[in-house]
Amino acid sequence: MNATKVNRYGKVNALVLPSIILVALITQIPILVTLGLSVVRWIIVRPDLRINFVGISNYIQLFTNPDFLWIIVNTIVMTVGSIVACTVLGLVISLTLNRQFPGVNIARTILIAPFFVMDAVAGIVWKTLMLHPSFGINSIICNLFGITPVDFLGHHPMFTVIMLVVWQWTPFFVLILLAGLQSIPEEIIESAKMDGAGWLRTILQIKIPAIANHIEVAVMLGLIFILKVFGLIYVTTAGGPGTASTNLPFIVYRTGFYRWDVGRAAAMAVITVILTLVFINLLFTFVRRKSKEVEA
Amino acid sequence: MKSLKTSKAWKNFLGFLVALPIWAFCLAYCFPIIYMFLTSFKSETDAVPPRLFFVPTLANYVTVLGSGIVPYLVNSIVITVLAMAGSILFGVPAAYAIVFGKLKNPDSIYFWFLSTTLLPAVSVIIPVFLVFKSLALLDTKLGMVMIYMGANIPIVVWMVRSFLKDIPIELQEAAEIDGASRTYSFFRIILPLAKGGIISTALLVFIFIWNEFFFAVNLTYVHAGTMPVFMASYMTQEGLFWAKLSAISTLTVLPPLILGWISQKALVRGMMMGAVKG
Repeated sequence: MNATKVNRYGKVNALVLPSIILVALITQIPILVTLGLSVVRWIIVRPDLRINFVGISNYIQLFTNPDFLWIIVNTIVMTVGSIVACTVLGLVISLTLNRQFPGVNIARTILIAPFFVMDAVAGIVWKTLMLHPSFGINSIICNLFGITPVDFLGHHPMFTVIMLVVWQWTPFFVLILLAGLQSIPEEIIESAKMDGAGWLRTILQIKIPAIANHIEVAVMLGLIFILKVFGLIYVTTAGGPGTASTNLPFIVYRTGFYRWDVGRAAAMAVITVILTLVFINLLFTFVRRKSKEVEA
Repeated sequence: MKSLKTSKAWKNFLGFLVALPIWAFCLAYCFPIIYMFLTSFKSETDAVPPRLFFVPTLANYVTVLGSGIVPYLVNSIVITVLAMAGSILFGVPAAYAIVFGKLKNPDSIYFWFLSTTLLPAVSVIIPVFLVFKSLALLDTKLGMVMIYMGANIPIVVWMVRSFLKDIPIELQEAAEIDGASRTYSFFRIILPLAKGGIISTALLVFIFIWNEFFFAVNLTYVHAGTMPVFMASYMTQEGLFWAKLSAISTLTVLPPLILGWISQKALVRGMMMGAVKG
């Protein structure tokens, strides 16, 4: 009896194996290879140079290159800026939408749409139909007020990219935060009102602490995805002008698939992974400290 | 009685007043998408410079569908459906084993899966490119399906685990006492209970794969290129034809938009529980 039970569980346990093997094959082993490639010099289009072990020289060259350091700064600014804006906007919008009014469900559904639109399309639509300085909505509005249309992508590339990221990701924040707000029991809000708490105090001291978990999840997932922003930049600014709106994923692509400088691109990829892990760690420590404060 | 009626009407009116600005905001927020949709029915001369009033036409769709788009559309559909089915086929049993099996460290296996979703795609792209090149998998549907399965199985494990955790373990045990085999209870008890969650997970994975740009643009050219790849190249070659561009964009965003709207509630639930139950 016991033997058959063990056997049965053995079979069930084995169900996890195919997934582990495939995921390891496609995500884990390549990362190790990337780590290995980051210490060689290998430029595919220059077979005459051969593949040489160069130690950490790829990293040294990257960190002494001001352009690359700026790209790291760009990545951080883009990620942090977008997430802060998404969180604030997401909170305001979800608090607004968290009430009963005619057509509330349709309004919510409409608002979610930008999140499901692929970033390549979002970028193209904004670049042409919306922000084009001659024929976009941009020019129509500017002409209405008699001012010269702003060339958003040419003159304010970082701001514009962040704006587009925020436009795409705020609905995602709303989706999650709204679910949190709806799970707060009515009685808690009622009793706070009975105690004479105004709407601002209710929001700051009751509602926001109550959805802390949801905010955390939204920020966490937002962070992971916004660090990877690529398609949006690819179709709008192509990282330019110069490297003004280039982030780490985009420079890895440029270096690896334009200049075919495999070693350098691998080193950049490793730096991207490290930055991702640092971000996630920072977020976790921040969250933990916050929750300790609440307990204390 | 009468005053009650008027107060109700008054309340309705107030509700309407509150709703109006919210409605306006939601519409304004999505204006780029609505505008894209409208432009796709304009003739090119109505689109640039934009005219407010126009005679709607399907000409753009006819032209676009007659051009090179069809193979890319087919690629997108084939790759997305196969990779989604594969991710579910691999991921659901894995989640089942993690929840109902007797693994030594189910939590650490779960966290391992989670950790792989944190890693950026750039960290694997170069080795994957080199291996694909040497195995002649570059620009093939098979290669893309494999990549997308590897990237999305962890998401399936993450979400489906949270749905399976909702199922009381007693149900499984009761079935076992009754002498039901594991296979029987999986298909007859667990699967029906988790069906809704699994379907919404599948829809989410569909959206992710359909919209995926980075791998697609780096690993495919003409044979296995998906819609994002087509969009990007059309933009560089014929980016001046805004009406046609809008028609292509509309065709591209419609499937994920519809699926997203269907699955949004379950999606939030799965993500929250996956994260909170840890």
